[in-house]
Amino acid sequence: MEQGIRAVVEIGSTGLRLLIAEIDSRGRPVILESASRPSSLGKDVFNSGTISRDSLQECVAILRSFAELMSAYGLKPEGAQVVGTSALREAANRDAFVDRVAMRSGFRIDIIEAIEENHYMFLAVQQVLGGKSAFISKTNSMIIEVGGGSTELMLLKKGKIAGAHSLRLGTLRLGQQLAMDGEGHSGLKRYLADNVRTISNSLDEELSLGSIKVFFAIGADAMIAARLAGTQGSGDYQTIKNADFFNLVDRAGQLGTEKLVSEFGLEWSEAEALVPGLLILRLFLERSSATELIVPGVSIREGLLAAMAASKNQELDELVHSQAQASALNLGRKFRFNEEHAKAVCRNTLFLFDQLKNLHGMSLRERRLLEISAILHDIGSFIKSSSHHKHSEYIVLNSDIFGLNRDDLLIIANIVRYHRHRGPQDSDTNYMSLIREDRALVLKAAAILRVADALDRDHTQRVKIERLEVKEEQIVLITAGREDLTLERLYLANKADMFEDVFGLKVVLI
Amino acid sequence: MSERNYYYFNRELSWLEFNARVLEEGLDRSNPLLERLRFLSIVASNFDEFFMIRVAALKSRKRSLGDGTERDPMSGLTLDELLAAISRRTRELAARQYACLSHELLPELGKAGLCILDPYDWDIDSRAWLEQWFINQVEPLLTPVAVPPEGEGPFPLTGNLKIHAAFLLRHALDASQEQLVIIQVPSNINRFVRLPGRGDLCTRFVLLDNIVLAFGHLLFPGWLIKEKTLFKITRDADIGVDEDADDDFVAAMEKVLVDRQVSPPIRMTISADSEGLEPIISSRLGLAVEDIYPIDGPIDLGSFISLCNMKGQESSSIQNLSFDSFEASKQFDDSEDKTVFDELRNRDIVVHSPYDHYGTVLEFIEKAATDRATLAIKITLYRTSGDSPFVKALIKAARAGKQVTVVLELKARFDEQRNINWASRLEQAGAIVIYGLAKLKVHAKAAMVVRKEEDGQIRRYIHLSTGNYNDRTAKQYSDISLLSSSPALARDVADFFNSISGLSSIGELKHLAMAPYDLKRRIISMIDREAERSNAASRGLIIVKMNSLGDRDIINALYRASCAGVRIKLNIRGVCLLKPGIKGLSENIVVSSIVGRFLEHSRIIYFYNAGNEELYLSSADWMPRNLERRIELMFPVLEDEAKKRVKGFLDLYIADNKNARHLGPGGRWQKPEKSGKLSAQEELMKEARKRAAKNEGQGKHTRLKVRRKAP
Repeated sequence: MEQGIRAVVEIGSTGLRLLIAEIDSRGRPVILESASRPSSLGKDVFNSGTISRDSLQECVAILRSFAELMSAYGLKPEGAQVVGTSALREAANRDAFVDRVAMRSGFRIDIIEAIEENHYMFLAVQQVLGGKSAFISKTNSMIIEVGGGSTELMLLKKGKIAGAHSLRLGTLRLGQQLAMDGEGHSGLKRYLADNVRTISNSLDEELSLGSIKVFFAIGADAMIAARLAGTQGSGDYQTIKNADFFNLVDRAGQLGTEKLVSEFGLEWSEAEALVPGLLILRLFLERSSATELIVPGVSIREGLLAAMAASKNQELDELVHSQAQASALNLGRKFRFNEEHAKAVCRNTLFLFDQLKNLHGMSLRERRLLEISAILHDIGSFIKSSSHHKHSEYIVLNSDIFGLNRDDLLIIANIVRYHRHRGPQDSDTNYMSLIREDRALVLKAAAILRVADALDRDHTQRVKIERLEVKEEQIVLITAGREDLTLERLYLANKADMFEDVFGLKVVLI
Repeated sequence: MSERNYYYFNRELSWLEFNARVLEEGLDRSNPLLERLRFLSIVASNFDEFFMIRVAALKSRKRSLGDGTERDPMSGLTLDELLAAISRRTRELAARQYACLSHELLPELGKAGLCILDPYDWDIDSRAWLEQWFINQVEPLLTPVAVPPEGEGPFPLTGNLKIHAAFLLRHALDASQEQLVIIQVPSNINRFVRLPGRGDLCTRFVLLDNIVLAFGHLLFPGWLIKEKTLFKITRDADIGVDEDADDDFVAAMEKVLVDRQVSPPIRMTISADSEGLEPIISSRLGLAVEDIYPIDGPIDLGSFISLCNMKGQESSSIQNLSFDSFEASKQFDDSEDKTVFDELRNRDIVVHSPYDHYGTVLEFIEKAATDRATLAIKITLYRTSGDSPFVKALIKAARAGKQVTVVLELKARFDEQRNINWASRLEQAGAIVIYGLAKLKVHAKAAMVVRKEEDGQIRRYIHLSTGNYNDRTAKQYSDISLLSSSPALARDVADFFNSISGLSSIGELKHLAMAPYDLKRRIISMIDREAERSNAASRGLIIVKMNSLGDRDIINALYRASCAGVRIKLNIRGVCLLKPGIKGLSENIVVSSIVGRFLEHSRIIYFYNAGNEELYLSSADWMPRNLERRIELMFPVLEDEAKKRVKGFLDLYIADNKNARHLGPGGRWQKPEKSGKLSAQEELMKEARKRAAKNEGQGKHTRLKVRRKAP
C-alpha cells in the first residue's frame, strides 16, 4: 500500500464507523478522522433474518455523510475499503443490500468472514503493543471483542496464537434469544454463564484459561467501561482493575437502560448492549487469572488499516504468518496429531517447494497454504486411521485458523484430502467447488505433499534429504545417510503417482 | 436574606452587583468623561436585557405557580422576596446613574464642548431650526395611533425597547373630549440630532425623542396637549423556539423574533414629566406599580453608546474625552514567505485580544480561504459582526470549491436575524451549513483548516478560543485564542466537528472536554484531584478566571477543596454564587472581579496538580446553562511557551490591586482598603505597546525585508 490517505468503513451490527488515516512512509497509519453512527442492521438481521428498507435508507444516509467527510480529504467513496461483519454476513438479502448501497452511495462493501475479524483484531492490538510485544511473549494472553452479532476471541500462548474463534455470541443476538425465552436479567446471566462454561471447556483444550494472565478487551463495551472505570496506561490503552470492573458490571446491571443513558451519557443502543457485553467479558475474565482488563484504544478498523499498510510492513506480514503456523500447530495438538511427523513432512514439503520453484511456478501465498496443509495433513487420524485424509478434510473445513479465510481453508482441506489414496474426481464436491486456478493449485500442492509424506512413512524422521536434482525425466532426491531406503521407495512408488501426472517427472530416491 | 443556611448567593442579586460595579466605573472621576458615559450606557442596556430575560423568567414562574412563595434552592429567597430585592436595588442603581448623568456628566461634557440640549435649553434659533427639521425629516415618518377607550379595543402595539411618545389631547373647542395618542419614535433616524454649528467649538445635540415630544402637537391641529410623556416598554424575550420544528427551523426561529415584539410587558421606563399619563398607560398594559420605573432624564441611556463611539474627527471638540487610543500589537508578522501556517508548524500561537492583534485569527481563516493547499475549513459561528470578514472569507472559500462547513447558531440571542441572513448566503455559495442542534446552543468556538501541503502530507490546523469570531468585539473583549498544528488536538477538534455536524455520535475526546457531555464531570474530577493531592507540605492551588460561577456541583467541589486545604483564587467578572471566606466552608477561597476599559471575557483554569501543572482555556462559564444546555469546549494549553504566557496573564489578573474588587462573605464587593497601582489591563496594554515599539524598531533598523527566492 502506498503512502497517502485511506478511508476504512466498518458496517457492523450496531453501527457504521469510519476512519480516515494517513499511511506514513514506514507503513504506519496515522488517524486523522473517526466517525461513528448507530444503525439497526443487527437488530433487523438477528430478529428477522433480513435487512429492512428503513435500515437500508439509514445506512445509505450515513454513508453519504461519511462521503462528505471524506471529500474534505479528497477521497471518493469508491476508494474506501468497506467491510461488513456478522449482521451483513447473515442477512438473507445481503447481495441486494451491497448492490443498493453501491448504487446509491458509491461505497463498495466487502463482506468479511468471522475469522478475518480475528485477524484484524490481532493487527489492531499489535499496533498498540508496538515495541512492547515482549510484554505478551512471556505469558499467556487472551484478546476478546464482544460485538453485536459475534464475539471474537483469540488465545495466545507466550505470544503465539493457540486458538482463534468467532463465537455466535453477540449483544444483539442475545436480546433476540432471550426475548424468545421470555426471561429478564437473571435469565440473561444464567444463559450467558451456561454458554461461556461450554465454550471455555472447549477452549481449555487449546490453552488452559486459568493460565491466562493478560486479558485484552476491545470493542464498544470495553471502551465505555474504560471510560467509566479505567486508568490511562503508558501507551494507547487503559486498564481496569478486576474489582473495579466487577463493581461497574454490577452497577450497570442494576441501573437499567434508561438510567444508563442518563447517568453514563450513553446512546440508547450503546446502553442496551452494555450489560450483556460486560457480562460476557466478566465471565471470561473470571476464568482467567488476570488481575486487570487491558482496553487498547483501537478497533477492527485500525486492524484493517494495518492490513492495508502490511505490504509495506514486512515484519507485520511475517508476524501474521507465524501466527497462522502457531494456530495450525495448536489445532493439530487439539486433535493429538503426531507433531514430529507433521513437522518433518512440513520441512520436506517446503524443501521440495523451494527446490522446484521453476517447475511449479507457485508464489509465497501458495507456499504458506502448503505449509499449513503439511502441518495438518494427518489431523483426521484423531477420528479414525482409515480414511483419515477424509477426516482431515472435514476437520480443516470446520476449524478456524488465524489469518486464513474460508477460501484458504477450502484449498487446504482439498490438499490434505488428496495427500493419500486416489486423486480428485468429478463427484468430489469440495474439489469441484474450487475455481480452476485453485484446482490446479491443489493438484500441484498435493503432489508435493504426497512425496514429502512418503519420505517419513514410518514417522521416525530418519530420512534426511540432502540435495535435489532435476533431470530430463525425473527428479532425484539424494539422502545424507546410508539407511535402508527400501520402505520409502516402496511408498514413493505408490504416492508419487500424482507427482508424475502433474509434473511429468518420476521421483527417484538415492 | 433568609435565616436558613444557604451557602450560595442569589443569581439575580449577584448579577445586580455586577452591574453596580460597572456603574461604579461610570462614577469614577478618574475615567475620561465619555468613557464614564459609556459605562452608564452599558449599565442601561444591561438592565434591559436583565429584565427581558431574568426578571421575565421569574415573573412567568410566579404567574404559573399562582404565588411567589417558592424558594430559590440556592439562596433560600422566595420569589416575592427576590422580586422586591431586585426592584429595590435597580431603583437605587438607576438613581445613582441618573444623578451622575445630570449632575456630573452632562454639565461637564457641556463645559468640554459636547452639549446635549434639553428642550428647556433651546434658544429661539435652535427651536426654529428644529421645528423645520421636524416638519421636513421626521413628521412624514410618524404614525400617530389613537388609543381606544378602555373596553373598546386593545392598547396599540408598543414593541420591545422602542421609545414612544404619548400625548393626552383635549379638543380645543370641547374640553370634555379627550384622546390618548401614542407615536413610536422612528428608529431609523439617528437619535442624536446635531444642531448647526455656531462658530464656537461647541457641538450641540438634541435627542430625537425630545423633538417628537416638543413638536408632536403639529400633528394634531384642533387639539390641545393636556399631557405628554416618553416611555419604553421592556418585554419578555425569554421565549424558546419550537425545537421540534426540524423541517423548517429557520421559519420557527423567525417566528420567535416576531413573538418577542408582542410578548408580555415586564417593565416600563417613563420620563418623569407626566404624572397623569403614567397610571393610564400602565394600567392599560397590565403593569403594576412595581414595574414602573420613572426616570428623571433621558430614557434609554443604552443608545448613548453611539455618542461615546464618535471619533474625534466627527467632532473636534470631543477629543480627550475618551481613553487614550490603543493599538494591538502583532503576535506574528505574516509575509509572503511565511504564512500563519508556516509559523504554526513550529509553535503554537496565543492571541490575547485586545492586546494582541486579532488579525492573526482572521488571517488564519482568510489565508485558508484563498490558499490552494486548503482542502477544507470547518468553523462554528455564534456571534459575528454585521459585515463579518470571517463569513466573507468562508463564502469565498466555498466558491473556490473548498469544503466549507459552518455550524451557525441560529439561537444566538438577539443575533438571530443576522445569523439567518448569513446562513442563506453561505448556503448559496455552496457551504455546508448546520443550523445548530436541537435543544442545545453551540457556544464553543472552534475552527479547523485541513491542508494538503507541498510535501504531499495532510496537515490540520486548529483555532480554539474563549470568544466569538468577531473582529469588532475583539477590540473590546479580552479573549484568548489558541492556534496550533498539534495532531492530538486536531484529532479531537475533528471529532468535535463530526459530532456536532451529525456525522458521528459523541465520542470520548482525549484532550478536549465538551459540554454538555463530560465537561462538568472533568472539572469536578480535577478539583477533587487537587483536593486529594493537597497536603500540608505541598498545598494544592486552583486559579480560575471566568465570567460567571453559578454551578452548584462545581461550587460544592470548590468548598470541598477549600476544606482540604487547597488555595483557591477566583477572578470572576460577573455573577458569583460562591460565598468566599466562610470558616469551615470556604476560608481558603478568595474571589475578585475586574471591571474596566475592556470587558473581561476569557476563561482560564489552572491546577497546580502536585507540580504537574495543567492549564486550560474554555468557552464555558461554570453556570448550569453553559454546562448542561450548550455545546462548549474546554481545551488545554499544552506547549510550554504558550502555557507560560497564558499563566502569566492569569497571575496578572489575580495580582491586580487597582481595578479589582473583592467579594466578602456577606456579598459586598469592595476595593481593597489599601488600593495599589497594579492594574492588569493597564499592564497588558503597556506590554503590548512595548512589544509594538520593539517590533517597529527591529523592522526599521536591523534588516530590510528583501523579496527574492531563497538562494
